[in-house]
Amino acid sequence: MAMNPMEQFEVKPILEHPLFQIAGHDIFFTNQALLMCVAVAAAALFLTFSVTRGRLVPTRLQSMAEVSYEFVANMIKSTAGDDGMVFFPFVFTIFTFVLFCNFFGMIPGAFTPTSQIIVTLALAAVVMLTVVVTGFIVHGLGFFKLFVPKAPFLLLILLVPIEIISFLTRLVSLSVRLFANMLAGHTMLAVFASFVIALGAAGGILSLLSITPMFMIVFIGALEMLVAFLQAYVFAILTCIYLNEALHLHEHH
Amino acid sequence: MQTAPATTTGTVAQQSNAFPPFDTATFPTQLFWLAITFAVLFVVLWRVAGPRIGGVIGERKAQIADELEAAEKHRKSAEAAEAAHQSALAAARARAKKAADENRRQVTAEIENAKAATEAAAQDAAAKAEARIAAMRQEAAQHVTIAAQDVAAAIVARLIGDTISPQEAEAAVKASGT
Repeated sequence: MAMNPMEQFEVKPILEHPLFQIAGHDIFFTNQALLMCVAVAAAALFLTFSVTRGRLVPTRLQSMAEVSYEFVANMIKSTAGDDGMVFFPFVFTIFTFVLFCNFFGMIPGAFTPTSQIIVTLALAAVVMLTVVVTGFIVHGLGFFKLFVPKAPFLLLILLVPIEIISFLTRLVSLSVRLFANMLAGHTMLAVFASFVIALGAAGGILSLLSITPMFMIVFIGALEMLVAFLQAYVFAILTCIYLNEALHLHEHH
Repeated sequence: MQTAPATTTGTVAQQSNAFPPFDTATFPTQLFWLAITFAVLFVVLWRVAGPRIGGVIGERKAQIADELEAAEKHRKSAEAAEAAHQSALAAARARAKKAADENRRQVTAEIENAKAATEAAAQDAAAKAEARIAAMRQEAAQHVTIAAQDVAAAIVARLIGDTISPQEAEAAVKASGT
C-alpha cells in the first residue's frame, strides 16, 4: 500500500526556493505557512468585520464573534479574576489561533499547523514565559513562594521539588496535549481512509465492506470537530489557570 | 526540509526523519511563520477586533439599560396616572353619593311637610265639622224643647182651658224632663 498516514504531517515547501535565510537557516513558504496565514487572516477578518456598531440585534456572524469574545472574557474572569483581564488580548489570541488552526486543519487535504510539536511547544513556551515574567513583575522574588505549599517543614523537603517539577512539566504537558490530540485524530482519519481505498480496490464482497470504514470516517470526523474546539478551549483555560497562579500565587478567590 | 519536489509515496520524501513532526530541519521555517502569524493576530485582536467587539457589547448593554430605565419611568408615570384616575373616580363617586343623599333628605322632608300640612288641614276640617254637628244638635234639642212647651201649652189649653205662661210650660217640660 502506497499510502502513508504520516505523509499529511510533512511540512513541504510550496515555493521551491527559500525566501531568505535567518541565521543560516532557509525560510520556505510551506503548506503549513499557507494554512497559518489563511487561518489568521480568516480569524482577523471575521472578528473585525462581522461586528458593526449600532446593531441592537446582532447578525449571526456578529453574535458568533461576540459569543467568542464573551466566552474568553468569562473564562479569564472565572479563573484569574478581574485583574486577569489585562491578559485578555493574549488569551483571546491564543484561543483564536489554536481554534482556527485546528478547524482549518479539518478541511480535507489541508495541513494542520497545530499537529506540529514545534508549533505547540512554541505556543506553550510563550505562555510559560508570560507566566514567569508576570509572576516576577507582580511578586518579585516572592514568586518563588509558588513552589512552597502550606505544609509541615519535613514535608516541604519532598513537596518543593515536586512543585518545581510539576511547574516545569507544564511546558511539556501543555504542548504535547494539543500536538498529540491533533496528530492522533488526523492519523486515525487517514488510516480509515486508506482502509476504504484498500477494501474498495480488493473487489468482490470486500468492496461492499468498504462502507464500514467510510462510516467510521464520518464518526471520527465529527469527533475531531469536537476535539478541535475542546483542545483550543483546554489550551486557553490552562493558560488562564497558570496566569492566575502568577497573579495570585496560591490564594483562592 | 527537503527542496526536492514532493512525492506521493512519502517514504522517499522523508529523508531526514521517519516521523515528520520531529523533522528538525523544518523547525526554523515553522517558528518563523508561527511568530509572524501569531504576532499579526495578536496585534489585530489587541488593537482592532477586541476593542471593537468590546465596544459594541458595552454599547448594547448601555442601550438596553437605558431603555429598561425609560420603560420603568413610563411604568411609574402610568401607575401615577392610574392612581390619579382612581382617586378622581372615588371623589366623583363620593360627590354623587352626597348629592343623592342630600336629594333624598330633601324629598323626605318635603313629603313629611306635605303629610303634616294635610293632616293638620284634615284635623281642622274634622274639628269644624264636629263643632257644627254639636251646634246643630244643640239647636235641634232647643227646637224639641220649644216644641214640647208649645205642645204642653196647647195640651193644657185644651184640657183646662187655661193658658199657661211660657215660663210655666218650660218649667213643666223641664220637670218632666228626660
